[in-house]
Amino acid sequence: MLVTFYNSLHTLRMDLGMRYEYVGLEHFREILTTDAVFWKAARNSLVWAVVAPLVDLPLAFVLALTLHARVPFARFFRTVWFTPVLMSYPVVGVIWLWVYNYDWGIANLVLRAVGLGDYAQAWLASPVTALPALILVTTWMFAGFNMVVLLAAMHAIPADYLDAARVDGAGAWQRTLLIMVPLLWPTIINLVILDFIGKMKQFALVWVMTRGGPMWGTETVATYVVKRAFEWKTLDLGYPSTIAVIWFVIIFGLSLLLTRVLQRREALEF
Amino acid sequence: MSRRLARLLLLVPVLAYTAFSAGPYIWTAMMSLRTTEEIYRSHYGLPIPAHWLKYATAWNEFGYATYFKNSTIVAVISVLIVSVIGSMSGYAFARRRFQFPLREPLFLLIFLSIMFPPQIMLLSLFQILVQYRLFNSLTGLILVYVVTELPLTIYLLRTFFAQIPTELEEAARLDGCGDWAMFWRVMFPMALPAVATTVILNFIYFWNEFLYAVIFITQQKIRTLPLAIQFLVSDQYQDVGMLATGLMIATLPVLVLYLFLSEWFVKGMTAGALKG
Repeated sequence: MLVTFYNSLHTLRMDLGMRYEYVGLEHFREILTTDAVFWKAARNSLVWAVVAPLVDLPLAFVLALTLHARVPFARFFRTVWFTPVLMSYPVVGVIWLWVYNYDWGIANLVLRAVGLGDYAQAWLASPVTALPALILVTTWMFAGFNMVVLLAAMHAIPADYLDAARVDGAGAWQRTLLIMVPLLWPTIINLVILDFIGKMKQFALVWVMTRGGPMWGTETVATYVVKRAFEWKTLDLGYPSTIAVIWFVIIFGLSLLLTRVLQRREALEF
Repeated sequence: MSRRLARLLLLVPVLAYTAFSAGPYIWTAMMSLRTTEEIYRSHYGLPIPAHWLKYATAWNEFGYATYFKNSTIVAVISVLIVSVIGSMSGYAFARRRFQFPLREPLFLLIFLSIMFPPQIMLLSLFQILVQYRLFNSLTGLILVYVVTELPLTIYLLRTFFAQIPTELEEAARLDGCGDWAMFWRVMFPMALPAVATTVILNFIYFWNEFLYAVIFITQQKIRTLPLAIQFLVSDQYQDVGMLATGLMIATLPVLVLYLFLSEWFVKGMTAGALKG
């Protein structure tokens, strides 16, 4: 950690026996003003980190509600929905490469089957659809996980609260939105932050499925750091370290801000 | 009666999501039992006849035996080290009578390091591994894994130990127990459920870890499973059938365990989420 901070102020030539050369804030200036790829990657990571919780958590919440309403075989469904999170990113990546295959993938198969064959396309080949396609994969992985955490929190709500509300004439919608959501809010904040940070750090799925392509369309800051450090023949560990430092500060700052904002809303609602 | 009907109606979205959730994996499982030739003739055929021998072929000829062994070595040894050190330090941090210099600042540091993103550790760890000639070795990878997961483990176990009343230790001390015996004979057995939770959490993490592996391991014969899959997908992109078999080999051990111990898995995986 401290080594990285130190690196960020230097160029570190791997070809010259790890020789340090002090450059001060030069890397920071270059990244923030002239490095277009960094900005592209930062934009992608941010979009991912903002969109994913907005999709994952409402979906997870609805799923948890259905199981909470004692759908038959609830335990079985819970077990199945949770499974994807137990697989590694490379495994998930390969499976979804097949799902998105143009000729025989499930995605296009389903579209053709319901008569939307015109929309069938090579999902990962276009810079427009590649990022949403990857976001859907992480939703597949994590919606079930978030659902399980929410469900556990729902079961922890004393039944009296909901019964009392029913006696007072609150409908199902009111009970859900006015009683359940506020009681679950701390759990929800936790999950949002966790999802947000996880997506800001996203590396493996991109590395396996698209390598950041096409046209930087799915480049994330994490993949860019690794590329700059080990793939581009610049042989300089200083520059990518600087990116890592900048990104760490941004993640940390935004997470704090997010916690602040979400907690304030809690204060208003009660 | 209408309530029953409402519940049955709920089944519609539930089943739809189940198809979305389980579909891709079941599809892969079917392909793992079919030859690539069969798959290209029809991508969604049932695995009839089932080619179980493909698993043996993948295991022996495509190197999955080696990758599986590597993954097992790394995950098992890392879990062992993390659990032993983690539970001992968790206990030490939980009891005020263990006074050592810088106790509080040290714990704060450990707590903060739970939040360090891996990218920022990556490059400096790379330098350190190269310096100590541990780059490109399973030992180096194990050390990295231990270091990255220790903080969370210590934190979770400290919380658990702190909840155990001290009367037990006092009773054990009257019976003549030293600190060492007290920990292993009294406290550790009591903490086993919590330790099991962290074992599962860490095992899944080590088994699936990709970022550190891809940077720190470049030799083929010491690749772990996630790493191997990434290379196989580019080398044998056409051989869908064999790749599917490989994916099953990489995931089945975890998923079979999950079937039998699903409550424990859920507890373990969500333990990390409930912190903070």
